[in-house]
Amino acid sequence: MKRKDLILHLIGEISNFLLESDPRRLVISLHQEENGLHLCVLDENPHTKEELEKIDLALNSKKRPELAGYYGSMTGHDMLGSSRLNLLGWQVKHCDVASIGSGIKIDIWLGGDAFQNDQFTIPDKAADN
Amino acid sequence: MGAFFVTGIAVDGFEKAFTGFASLQLRPARLISDFVSDRGIGAALLNATAVGLTGLALILIAKVQLSGATFAAILTMMGFALFGKTPVNILPIIFGVYLAGKLVGKTFSEYLIIALFGTALGPVVSMVTVEMGLTGLSAVAVGTGAGIATGFILPAIAVSVLHFHQGYSLYNIGLTCGFFALFGAAFLRAGGYEFQGLMLWDTDNSAVLVYMIPVLSVILIATGVFSAGKNSWKDLLAIQKHSGRLPSDFMDLESMGGALINAGLMGLFGSAYIFVIGGDFNGPTIGGLLTIIGFGAFGTHLKNSWPVVVGVIVAALIFGKPLSAPGVLLAAIFCTTLGPIAGAFGILAGFIAGFIHLVLVHQTGSWQGGMNLYNNGFAGGLTATLMVSTIAWYRSKNSGFK
Repeated sequence: MKRKDLILHLIGEISNFLLESDPRRLVISLHQEENGLHLCVLDENPHTKEELEKIDLALNSKKRPELAGYYGSMTGHDMLGSSRLNLLGWQVKHCDVASIGSGIKIDIWLGGDAFQNDQFTIPDKAADN
Repeated sequence: MGAFFVTGIAVDGFEKAFTGFASLQLRPARLISDFVSDRGIGAALLNATAVGLTGLALILIAKVQLSGATFAAILTMMGFALFGKTPVNILPIIFGVYLAGKLVGKTFSEYLIIALFGTALGPVVSMVTVEMGLTGLSAVAVGTGAGIATGFILPAIAVSVLHFHQGYSLYNIGLTCGFFALFGAAFLRAGGYEFQGLMLWDTDNSAVLVYMIPVLSVILIATGVFSAGKNSWKDLLAIQKHSGRLPSDFMDLESMGGALINAGLMGLFGSAYIFVIGGDFNGPTIGGLLTIIGFGAFGTHLKNSWPVVVGVIVAALIFGKPLSAPGVLLAAIFCTTLGPIAGAFGILAGFIAGFIHLVLVHQTGSWQGGMNLYNNGFAGGLTATLMVSTIAWYRSKNSGFK
């Protein structure tokens, strides 16, 4: 899969999730490097603490290559029905979920084997993943 | 697996079970070849043990954790080893999937699920080796080559057909293999080959087979209750709220205990259904029950299954087909592949899906020459594609802007 397609599908899935709660504003920011990328998505809808925990759990789920390599192809592609953040979680390097003012901020880092932590503003622990 | 092995030896004795197991490796395996009827319970159970161990070994080699998906894969492999899969006819397919992964730079773990479920096309290997008039080493070489080529193409199709139904049919590899077998059968027919119908269906209803699944189900429920403790029933109820759409790993989403209880309940209700309608407990039906138990940890539960099963039953009654007839009975068990349709879009959608499924599944077997063991997965995938396309089209009628 070309990188452009991958990015489109990532944005599709995470946007699908946030658009389910019909926010008035949704901001998507992308930072690309040769071996990785950082995607930041913000909305302005209120989210409960339990919701944040659920999102964090789905996005930082254990790496599942056997599911990511096969079912991961549905990420941001098959949109009939509710979004599935775990499809993203199996593939990414690290995710941060935070409440900001009236909304939510989701940071996603994704990259290959040569992913370089220092090229991004990312917590150190992600480099070990 | 150990229980299967011990039971197999206990029922038929060591020599008969092993001789039967060995001879199964060179038997036709297309639908419907009930190995219990062909070579006895002992041989069939030993074969299921060997196929299950092969799957387990692959999971360990790929260093993948045991989960809902792998639990479903192992039980499905063992189930279908009672009527079609053998170690000899599945290994070339698995090797083909491995080679495909190598070509596109994927690790074997990334294609593991496709490799395990893709063994549904094992009968291709058996058919080329023993049914097409080839002899000796050339038969083995051509059969093995056909299996490797088959496995090689599976990942490409599996990923593509997943988008047809968007994960609303659980047995996606059934659609994958059916799609491939459709072309294979067409080419063979074009070359003048005529598929002979096979129908080996055991009707002895041995007590071992009748009680096997209920006992296994009770063990799973007890293990689940022990594992999840106080939360087991809460987790079971939480599982019923999931649509079951692929990939729904209930062990991950809720808990291993809840998933095992759900799996055990699927086995108990499935067995009760066969008992009530007076169906046969044999290789194919036990295989079906093992499959729904497996998928009880990966998408199937009672709440999303019953509307689909009712749809199959009503269709059978309307079209005058006995509920205990082999095709109808297997459809009632395997139609649970469409559970996510009911889980996501409601009871009526599930009922319609089940109704269509029964009508279609009676045709798909002959289309693909019986080479794809997951014939219900094939029909279910096509049914889900029809349902999902229609629902998606209907929902596109209004963008929501005033």
